[in-house]
Amino acid sequence: MLDITILLDGVAYGMVLFIISVGLTVTMGLMRIVNLAHGAFAMIGGYLATMLLGAGLPFFAAAIVAAALVGIVGAVAELAIYRPLYRKGELAQALMTFGFTFVVIAALTTAFGTGIRTLPVPPTLSGVVDIGFRTYPTYRLFLVAVGLVLALLLWLLIDRSSYGARLRAAVDNPRMASAVGIDVNLLFTVTFAGGCALAAFGCVIGAALMPLEPYYALRYLVLFLVVVGVGGIGNFKGSFVAAIALGIIDTGGKFLVPQAAAYMFYGAVLILLLLRPHGLMPAKSAA
Amino acid sequence: MKKMLLLALCGTGLTWATATAAPADTVKVGVIATFSGPFARWGEQFQQAIKVYQKQHGTSVKGNTIDVIYRDDGGPDPTRAKQLAEELILREKVQFLGGFVFTPNALAVADIVTEAKMPTVIFNAATAVVTRKSPYFVRTSQTIPQVTVPIAQWAFKNGVKRVITAVSDYAPGYDAEQYFVKTFKAAGGEVLESIRIPLATTDFSPFYERVLQQKPDVLFIFGPGGPPTVGMINTWASRLKPAGIRLLCTAETQEIDLPKIGPVALGVVSAFHYTETVDNPLNKALWADLTAMFGKNTVPDLASAGAYDAMELIYRAVANFGPQVTGDEAIGFWRGMALDSPRGPIKIDETTRDIIQNVYLRKVEERDGKLENINFETVPMVRDPWKDEHPE
Repeated sequence: MLDITILLDGVAYGMVLFIISVGLTVTMGLMRIVNLAHGAFAMIGGYLATMLLGAGLPFFAAAIVAAALVGIVGAVAELAIYRPLYRKGELAQALMTFGFTFVVIAALTTAFGTGIRTLPVPPTLSGVVDIGFRTYPTYRLFLVAVGLVLALLLWLLIDRSSYGARLRAAVDNPRMASAVGIDVNLLFTVTFAGGCALAAFGCVIGAALMPLEPYYALRYLVLFLVVVGVGGIGNFKGSFVAAIALGIIDTGGKFLVPQAAAYMFYGAVLILLLLRPHGLMPAKSAA
Repeated sequence: MKKMLLLALCGTGLTWATATAAPADTVKVGVIATFSGPFARWGEQFQQAIKVYQKQHGTSVKGNTIDVIYRDDGGPDPTRAKQLAEELILREKVQFLGGFVFTPNALAVADIVTEAKMPTVIFNAATAVVTRKSPYFVRTSQTIPQVTVPIAQWAFKNGVKRVITAVSDYAPGYDAEQYFVKTFKAAGGEVLESIRIPLATTDFSPFYERVLQQKPDVLFIFGPGGPPTVGMINTWASRLKPAGIRLLCTAETQEIDLPKIGPVALGVVSAFHYTETVDNPLNKALWADLTAMFGKNTVPDLASAGAYDAMELIYRAVANFGPQVTGDEAIGFWRGMALDSPRGPIKIDETTRDIIQNVYLRKVEERDGKLENINFETVPMVRDPWKDEHPE
C-alpha cells in the first residue's frame, strides 16, 4: 500500500511539473522560442488571479479569466517583443526574454511587495478524501485530473486537429507554409497567446504547491526548462512523460534515501540527458 | 540652460555633503541590510521600526541629530557587505553600524569593525558565533539555540515522547536540529529520525510520508521563511495533522506569515523571543505607530524588534557620551545594560555582548477573525546556550 502512496505522490508531483510547464511546452517546445519569460507570464496570471479572487470571483473563474487576460498580454508581447526575435537566434531570444522577466519581477515587486500572495483553493479541494486504504489530499487528486485533461486536450489539438498540423508545418518551414496559404504570423500570435494563457492557468492551479511571489519566475525556471528539455524540444508528449518520470524518481528517491534528496532530481535529469541528449521523445525535425 | 541648472544642482549637493560630514552635532548611523531582491522585507521592516523609534523619541539626542544612512547589501553577499561597511566608515564617517540580516554578511565586516573600533549592533544575523567575531559587536536579535532549547524542553515536559525533526538543509537548520535533538534526548525523549530537506524543495510529501510511517508524537520543523516554510506547514496540515502528529516550531508561525499559511496553523505551538501580541506598552505603541505610518496591514516582527532596540542602545550611548562617543565607550556602556523592549525585558550580556531575553511559548489562535500567536508560558531571561557550552 505504501508503494501505491509513493507512486501516487510521484505522479501527482509530476502532474504539477507538467501543469506549471505546459505553457512552455507550447512556446518553447512547439514554437521553439527560447522563452525564459514563461514564469513571468505565469505569475502575471497569478497576480491577476489574486485580484480577481479579491473582487469576489470563485477560484476556477478567476483562474480562467486570469489565463484569458494573460493570453491577451501574450499576444501583445508576441507582436511587440517576440516577433522581431524569431530570426535573431537563440542568444538574442534568451537575453531578451530573461530581461523581460526581470522587468516583470521589478514591476510586480513595486506593485505587490516581495511577500507571498496566497491563492486559496476552494474548500471542496482543501480537504482529504478516502481512497480505500488511506486518506489523501483532495487537491493532489484534483491536480492529477487537471494534468490529464490538459494533456488530452493538447494532444487532440496539436496531433489531431488541422490547427495542429498547420502549426507544426509553420514551425518547420514557415516559407513553405505561407506559400500554401497558411497565415503564419496569425498562427504564431494565437499559439503564443495560448502558451501564455496556459502558463497563467498552471501558475494559479499549482499555487498551493509553488507559492506565488515576485521571484516565482526565476525560482522555478529550472524546473520549467528541465521538463521541456528532458521531454525533447518540439514534442509536448515528451514533456508529459518527462514530468511524470521525474516526479516519480524524485518522490521515490526522497522517500527511500532522504540523505540524497538534494541530488535526486538533478541526478535523474543528468542521467536521462546522458542517455537521451535530445530528450525522451525528440521531434524528428528538431534533432 | 538645462546644463547650467544641473551644474548648479551638483554644486549645492557638494557643499551640502561637505557641510554635513564634519559637524560635531550630527551622529551618523550606518545601516547595512537587504532592501532589494527576495529578502527586501527585512530591510523594510528595519527601516520602518527605526522611523517609528525616531518618531517616538525624536531625531536628535540632547541637540545631536541622529542621521541614519541605509545601504542595500541585496541579500547574503559578504563581499558587498564588507565594501559597504568600508564606505560607511571611511567616507561617510559613521559612528555606529547596524543592520545585518544574514550571518555571512555580519561575519564579513567583523575585521573592519574591529580595526575601526566601530560599535556595531546586529539587528538579526542569528548564528550563535557571530558576536564572538568582533569585540565591537552587540546583538539585539536572538540565537537559534536560544529559542530551540525552550521548545524542546517544553515538549518533553508536556508528555511528548517521540519526535522527528525536519530542518532545511543549511547552517541555521543544523543549529536548530542539533539543539533540539540534544535537549530532547537529555530530557529523556526519543528522536526517531532527523531529516534535512534541501532548500530548493517544492514538494514535501515524500519526506512527510517517511514521518507518517514512523508515527512520532511530534514533528519539529525549521524552515528558511518564504515559500519553503509555507510548504512545510501546509504539507504537515494535509498529511500529518489528520494522523494526530503535532507540529512544533520556532519562527515559522510568525504573524507576518500567518495569513499565507491560513487556518491550518490553528493550535500550532512554537517558541520565540518576540510575539506580536505580547502585552506591554512599548509593543502596543510600536504596532500602533507602524500601522499609523505605514498602513493598517503593517505587522511588526523580529526584525522590527531588533532594529527598534538597536536604536535605543545607540540613543542611550549618544545621550551619555555626546556626539564624539568612541567604540570602546559605547561597548563598555552597553555591556550588562538592561532595557525594556517591545518584546519584554532584555539585557546585553556583560561578557558575551549577546542578548539575554524571555522566550515565549505561544499557540496560534483566532481572535476577531485574525490568526495570532498568543503567549501561554514565559521562559524568563534565557541566555544563549551555545556560548555557555563553548566558553572563550
